[in-house]
Amino acid sequence: MKIVVIGGSGLIGTKVVAHLRQAGHQVIAASPATGINTITGDGLAEAMSDTDVVVDLANSPSWEDQAVMDFFQTSGRNLLAAEINAGVKHHVALSIVGVDIMQNIGYMRAKKAQEDLIRQSGVPYTIIRSTQFLEFLKGIADQATDGNEVHLSDVRFQPIAADDVAAFVAKYAVAAPLNGKVEIAGPERFAMYEVVAQYLRHANDPRKVVPNGKPLYYGGEISHAALVPVGQAELGTINFEKWWSNQLQKA
Amino acid sequence: MKRVKDIDPGLSVRSLAAFEQERRILSDLGNDITGVRDKNDLIILFSKRIKSLFYFTHTIVTLIDAKDETYTPFLLDHESSPIRSHAQYPELIKAHFSLNEPFIRAALRAEEPISFLLEDIMDQPQSPSFLRANYEAGVKEILMTRLMKEGKPMGFIHIYSDKPNSFSIEFRNVIKGIAPQLSGAVSNIIKNEEILKKEQEKSLLLDFSNDIATGRTKEELAFAVRAVLKKINPPGGFVIRRINEDNTTMSPYAYDLTKTHDPKVINALEQARYPINDGLQDRVLNSAIPLLFNVDREIQRGITSSYLQHWKTMGFKEIVGIRLRNGETNHGILFLDIQEINVQLLQGICSQISIALANIMANEQIHKKQEEQAFLLDFSSDIAQVRTKADLQAAIFRVLDKTMHTQLSMIRTIDEDGYNMSPFMYDETLFERAKKHFAELLAHRVTVDEIYTADVLTSEDGLVFNIEEELKSGNSYARLWETTGLKNVYGLPLRVGNKNIGTIWLLADRLSKLMLKGICAQISIAIANIQANEKLLAYKKQLEVENDYLKEQIKTIYNFSEIIGNGQQMQKVYRLMSLVAGSNTTVLILGETGTGKELIARAIHNASLRKDKLMVKVNCAALPANLIESELFGHERGSFTGAIDRRIGKFELANNSTLFLDEVGELPPEAQAKLLRVIQERELERLGGKQTIKVDVRLIAATNRNLEEEVKAGRFRADLYFRLNVFPISLPSLRERPEDIEPLTHFFVKKYGRNTGRKIRKVAPKVIQQLLSYTWPGNVRELEHLIERSILLTPDDILRDVYIPENTATDKQDLTHLLNHSLEEVERSYIIEILRRCSGKISGPGSAAEILKIPGNTLHSKLKKLGITKKDYFG
Repeated sequence: MKIVVIGGSGLIGTKVVAHLRQAGHQVIAASPATGINTITGDGLAEAMSDTDVVVDLANSPSWEDQAVMDFFQTSGRNLLAAEINAGVKHHVALSIVGVDIMQNIGYMRAKKAQEDLIRQSGVPYTIIRSTQFLEFLKGIADQATDGNEVHLSDVRFQPIAADDVAAFVAKYAVAAPLNGKVEIAGPERFAMYEVVAQYLRHANDPRKVVPNGKPLYYGGEISHAALVPVGQAELGTINFEKWWSNQLQKA
Repeated sequence: MKRVKDIDPGLSVRSLAAFEQERRILSDLGNDITGVRDKNDLIILFSKRIKSLFYFTHTIVTLIDAKDETYTPFLLDHESSPIRSHAQYPELIKAHFSLNEPFIRAALRAEEPISFLLEDIMDQPQSPSFLRANYEAGVKEILMTRLMKEGKPMGFIHIYSDKPNSFSIEFRNVIKGIAPQLSGAVSNIIKNEEILKKEQEKSLLLDFSNDIATGRTKEELAFAVRAVLKKINPPGGFVIRRINEDNTTMSPYAYDLTKTHDPKVINALEQARYPINDGLQDRVLNSAIPLLFNVDREIQRGITSSYLQHWKTMGFKEIVGIRLRNGETNHGILFLDIQEINVQLLQGICSQISIALANIMANEQIHKKQEEQAFLLDFSSDIAQVRTKADLQAAIFRVLDKTMHTQLSMIRTIDEDGYNMSPFMYDETLFERAKKHFAELLAHRVTVDEIYTADVLTSEDGLVFNIEEELKSGNSYARLWETTGLKNVYGLPLRVGNKNIGTIWLLADRLSKLMLKGICAQISIAIANIQANEKLLAYKKQLEVENDYLKEQIKTIYNFSEIIGNGQQMQKVYRLMSLVAGSNTTVLILGETGTGKELIARAIHNASLRKDKLMVKVNCAALPANLIESELFGHERGSFTGAIDRRIGKFELANNSTLFLDEVGELPPEAQAKLLRVIQERELERLGGKQTIKVDVRLIAATNRNLEEEVKAGRFRADLYFRLNVFPISLPSLRERPEDIEPLTHFFVKKYGRNTGRKIRKVAPKVIQQLLSYTWPGNVRELEHLIERSILLTPDDILRDVYIPENTATDKQDLTHLLNHSLEEVERSYIIEILRRCSGKISGPGSAAEILKIPGNTLHSKLKKLGITKKDYFG
């Protein structure tokens, strides 16, 4: 199959591309760097030519509410229009668990808008909603740091390793379209502050985690269960310990 | 490595020199390479310099494409290539080879240049096909060297040799040494090519911009677009579709379809109006980026718009569609027969086209407006020359047909009463298919309160009725409208200033608002002019009629500037006149014929406040009974046979003036009734007319009849009599005022002497005597005519004879008066009367004896006998 991976040079994208190439598919890793731009439309039509599956892993270069919304809407519209023209048979997109219940957060509104565009496009689709990646832990700790303390919420948290995400995405990309969503998550569930504390311990980071009980995420207030799957979800195989040891090997 | 170690000292001097040479060549090459801007120059230069040091057959550079992990030839030395004539060559130099196979992975991994014997690797299952092709052309060995950029592999130098063991360590070292410079040069070339391409695009856009900026018409736009597209895609055709005014369809605007010459297809494409929301056009219009679509796929998708079928038969496989948009407004779509999308370039072109399109459309709009205005101007000058309804009709029909391609349905004007609306003008030919229905509606009376009319009259600029919707809502006119097959009805008020004067109704699919407004303003003025003109004609006619009266009256009536006579009887009359003149009271003037009733009436009028207007006289006796009503009250056109024009009655004519009804006793009974009503109501209706007209008329009636007796005899309506007999003035007969006979005689002598050109100096006393002795049944008029005749018969300047008619019939009144007396009494009073008139002259000319036709002596004896003394006749 010919598969185009939008955002194919990103964290998940490179892994997905590798997975799919490994499986013998013709894969285009699309990104502005490789001359395929979903915002300007550059190279899009050519990339879509004879493509069977499109995996959309593109992320906004800006985190500002309006910019994110503009990015996902423009990118989504252009991409889906090109897919329709080219007769693409499956559109796979990566979204976020709890996206529809965190609509007070600009980024979530933009991701929801992206999902809605896909649902309305008429192109067969699979939306994969993932929990946060284990790779985010350092960032979460950094942005919550005040002096030597890391103030973090006790919302429930079930991070998944990027490798697992990529494996799931690759799996769903070559499967039949669900025309619906599937949720994926890591194998372990924590309170957010716990897993961050664990990470800091492993990294020999001297910062101290202080649970504050405020259910905040990305600056917005959320429910305690917003970030974890509600019903059945596909769980990754890489737990924190395994992920940590993989990290060490790579380094 | 082994060979380096084995170098013997004798050789080391040479190799030192060689090394020096290598170094020099490398540094020269390095200098050259960095200066190269053209990619062919680079590989040829590189190949030449290296060949001067080492042996090999040819070299190429391939580049890695990160997006799909392949590599593809970039720099080729065609001339040296031994596989140039290979069947696969054209294919090979464009091919992308996978990075995911052992041969190239080995090359990727190797930090040093790495050589392979083709024989060993070319038949591996995943090995690229160029290896075998080269082997078949005699190449034995390949040296692969990575080109790195920013720490990542960007491509490979492939060096081929047909001799085994060509790639010595020195060779490898040189290549390894030159590789970074080559990488830099390749990167430069890539950048350079990009810059060149961008520059070309920019100059292309600039040229296009210049071309398009000078274009003013659709044809010039098409020409410029064709020129620019030919540059980027020579064989392709294009079509620009424009969104039609209805905003629901699109039509081709400019195009170049080189793939068909079938006039039928071109015509079909040209004339078509494709619905915007056909599943494809709407997708293009909603997409911010150019869309490449496959014609077959779109047809399979179920899009039925005929252009896809035409494209298919013309052989178009893939088409790019780009919306033409200015700001937030879509103007149309550019469809291109092109395989490759250069988004920036196409969007640049399209934004220019959009602006040009908007400009041209604005231009066309202005042009259209100017044309419309020119038509309006023509219409205006047409209208300015219009004097009659027929002219106006011709002008209106012409302008509607010529400029708006429509026909007039109806113009209605508001009647003088401000309520009814009469048809003014219509075009029956519009309702050919519903003649009967139209005639029915035409006969139907319309007023300003009629619902559609009222809506139109109160609207600012008129209303548009959609016939289909009106049909649904049960509008009775809609069925008539429907027969025309048109979509809309335009109803507009006709106004002059702020005053509504009527409505105009037009049927059409679409009309320009500006035109409508302009035309309506002109038509309004024209209608107002015609109406004013008609009024003017009516006034003119009235004036002419008045003038006729005036002339007639000057001719026939005494010069009424003075009334002759100062006798006691007349003094009484004068007093009554002065009493009544200033009021509006109806005056009834009674008196025998010829006593000057009209003269008195005029004198009363002239002494009244109404004297500035002409007194209107009607002689009731002079008109046939069947015409008297029309004479008095006027009639509408066609109200009876022979009434070919509207006529204003005497009553209307006398509005704000005095109407003198002479011989009112002769009025037929029907006319009496009507007259009575007018007197009572002070308003009248024309014959055949529906509206009532208010009048302010002072009546003066005159008769020589005894109206009281007429009433008794049932010939005159008592109620009318009482209405007329408000202020009776009885004029004395001339008989009753003999003292005025002499001044009247002198007056008439003077008047007729002047008229006939005779100078009568004197009237003989005998004549005066004769005149005094006559009974004057015809009163003053008789006297006047007698004098006139006598003057004509007088030979010299003295009036010696008057020709008093003999056998004058005795007054009936006198007769009846006499009937009650004895013969002697009658004889006595009769003789006294005659003597009185003859001023006591008993015998001789003009004497009583002469009148009585008895001898003077006989009269003398009779006087004695009857005891008549001078006292009796000079009393």
